[in-house]
Amino acid sequence: MKKVCTVLMAALLLLCAMNLGAGGQQTVEEKLIIREASQVPGLITPGVWDGQTLSLNSSIYDFLAELDPATGELVPSLATEWNSEDGQVWTVKLRKGVKFHDGTDFASEDVRFTIERTQDPDLGHLQKADFAIVERIDTPDEYTVVFHLAEVRPTFMYLMTAYNMCVLSSEYDYAKLGEMKPMGTGPFVLKEMVPKESALLVKNEEYWNEGYPKADELRIYFVPDIDSSVSMLEAGKVDVCPFINTIHKQNLAAKGFKVVSPYQEYRFVALSADREPFDDNRVRLAMKYCMDPEILAKVCQGELGSDVYYNETPILNVLAQYKDIPLRGRDINKAKQLLAEAGYPDGLSVELYYASDHPYGQELTQAIKELAAPAGFDIQLKGYTRDVYLSQYWMDGPMLLTGWGPRVDPSMLLMLAYQSEGPWNESHIDDAEVDELIAKISAEVDEAKRQQYYDRLQEVFYERGTVINIQVPYFVAMRPEVKDYRQPPTFMVQYEYTYIEE
Amino acid sequence: MSFLRKVLQRLGFMIITLVAMSLLIFFLVEIMPGDVAQMVLGQSVTPEALKALRESMGLNDPFYLRYLRWFTGLLRGDLGESLYMRGVQISMILWRKVFHSVILALAALLFYVPLSIFFGVLAGVRSGKLSDSVISFFGLATMALPEFVSGVLLITLFSVVLKALPITSVIPIGESIWGNLDILILPAFSVTIVMFGYVSRMQRSSMIQVMSSDYIRAAELKGLPRAYVIFRHALKNALLPTITIIGMNMGWLFGGLIVVETLFGYPGLGSLTMTAIKTRDVPLIEACVLFITFIFVVSTFITDLLYGLLNPRIRFSGAEQ
Repeated sequence: MKKVCTVLMAALLLLCAMNLGAGGQQTVEEKLIIREASQVPGLITPGVWDGQTLSLNSSIYDFLAELDPATGELVPSLATEWNSEDGQVWTVKLRKGVKFHDGTDFASEDVRFTIERTQDPDLGHLQKADFAIVERIDTPDEYTVVFHLAEVRPTFMYLMTAYNMCVLSSEYDYAKLGEMKPMGTGPFVLKEMVPKESALLVKNEEYWNEGYPKADELRIYFVPDIDSSVSMLEAGKVDVCPFINTIHKQNLAAKGFKVVSPYQEYRFVALSADREPFDDNRVRLAMKYCMDPEILAKVCQGELGSDVYYNETPILNVLAQYKDIPLRGRDINKAKQLLAEAGYPDGLSVELYYASDHPYGQELTQAIKELAAPAGFDIQLKGYTRDVYLSQYWMDGPMLLTGWGPRVDPSMLLMLAYQSEGPWNESHIDDAEVDELIAKISAEVDEAKRQQYYDRLQEVFYERGTVINIQVPYFVAMRPEVKDYRQPPTFMVQYEYTYIEE
Repeated sequence: MSFLRKVLQRLGFMIITLVAMSLLIFFLVEIMPGDVAQMVLGQSVTPEALKALRESMGLNDPFYLRYLRWFTGLLRGDLGESLYMRGVQISMILWRKVFHSVILALAALLFYVPLSIFFGVLAGVRSGKLSDSVISFFGLATMALPEFVSGVLLITLFSVVLKALPITSVIPIGESIWGNLDILILPAFSVTIVMFGYVSRMQRSSMIQVMSSDYIRAAELKGLPRAYVIFRHALKNALLPTITIIGMNMGWLFGGLIVVETLFGYPGLGSLTMTAIKTRDVPLIEACVLFITFIFVVSTFITDLLYGLLNPRIRFSGAEQ
């Protein structure tokens, strides 16, 4: 027994030693390979739930249109052009000569299938509400699609950029194969998938965008957490590491890694308008007077106005639709006075629910608690893991801190979260003027008029709104050799442009 | 005959344990907040989408119906489909991870069993001397060290400072574990550090006890060489408690290395169990935990058998009964 053990151990050590030796000799790779560490479970859905990680989706599938990350403009992808005279009937011309990875041709029927799928009652598609306005889809020829909408929607084409609106083949069984063998027209083809472990994608040689993708292979590792991802980046096992937090950012930047922030994410402090104490606007205003945006930016390890932004409306500061309303400024006496007027001269206690494992959750809620205390707010912090928060407390608390992804067109978010009937109206706002303004914003064709509605909406939110909007950066770390990493606010990484310059 | 009856009894007990465990897991996941549909949809969830997804996953069915459906599948040898990754058979995920875990467990066994026994014997036969104190101190220190601490220390020393070993134990895409055996060293050492204290101390105390027994004194008085007495006479009896400890930890070693596997990013059963729990993927949790339970039960059974083989008194007393 002892001899067997000795022999086995010696054999193992020898094998390890051989491995170590081999590790020093880098095999000369002719192929250009990009490797990414992607955290599981950070899965999303190109349809509904039959999907994978963001980078996997964006590499395998294409969209009708996409956002230019540099300009924020809508640019053609599988659609080459689109127009509508009245904002209600949209004619979309499709790209010719595009093939799905299974060799079938891309045509107008596939677009019809993709859009009609959103309304399948058995599917529960996440974009169902957005596309419910599509009354009819005509396909006069193989490369033309005409959408007839129930109402005027000047920003209709922006809906096509939603992360789960990638174009699917009408002949493919996504319900059965979507997870293990996702198939689209995108720049990379899935070659091998090891569930819960990794995915290997290779260049789509038939890709319609000539000269792209620049890389030959895309290797995605599904890792359990952000710390493992960062370790892999530091060890040189991957080139790109998304979703890092500010502490990782500082450490990695100090070690010479490149850290970029492709876009800002929302952290909405929702003050519930249908229950005490925030059903009284004076209490909401008191809370707003307690806030110090400079301090909130600092606790996020950023600078106000460059990394972190703050306002009291649901519009991102960096968007064209944003109205630059001067910041309220911290005024504790004013806050106390408002609380006294609202019937809380001795202060009040309120619970703040949040996801404790979500970036910036702990830092922001602690800062809000301390900033609001001098005015008499006794905030009870109720932190839960993100899954518990979302399933048990989100949409049902007097005060919430929730992370929201950016929307390319702010009206999409307004309809979801700030209309009284919106499905994700987390602050339970029910304001007739807000409803009316959102309806006008969604239907107005004239851009100048639409901006006027946006301006008024932001004034209303400043006066009596139910949200404090802290915008925090989303960071991606990468080796300095990684060039042309593109990721618009649709979240979808455009790896077809990325390459490694050794 | 009685031996066969004993084996059958143990097998029956094993099946009851597995069934009870499967029920318990189902129940525990049931009372956990959130479900797999919620996890899949995340913050994008709408009541409509959640309803449709729950319906398609069969989550709206009563608890007992879901359990029976899963259980009848299991009886047919079908572990079912992952709820979190639609269309992915559990068998496709599980056995690959089990294989990786077995490799890691074997590597750890090869490191810590001979090391711990050797130093335990050394400390036992040199009881009260400096070498015994050093070994005992080191054993105590490693026992007190949780694996995430020892793991981080090992990573810092061997990966960050010396740059001799990989910082993570991820298998590169397109390669197998056989071409990357160096990824096993740090996780295996991490396990060795945890186990060394337990096993070596058990070996030491048992060795001291055996060495002071009459038959060893008689052997020594006969003039037999000391090494012969230690290895031929004393060690065989002194190994019994050590084997029990090793056997009892077999289940943990083959599937419960959650902390070690997560820390090193090793794609084994432990990290898979962790992911399954995080995503509330009931069939996958069931498969992982039942496999670990199975290993526990089987290893305890084998330990008992080995115990009987090494200690005839137990064997014979069992036969007499």
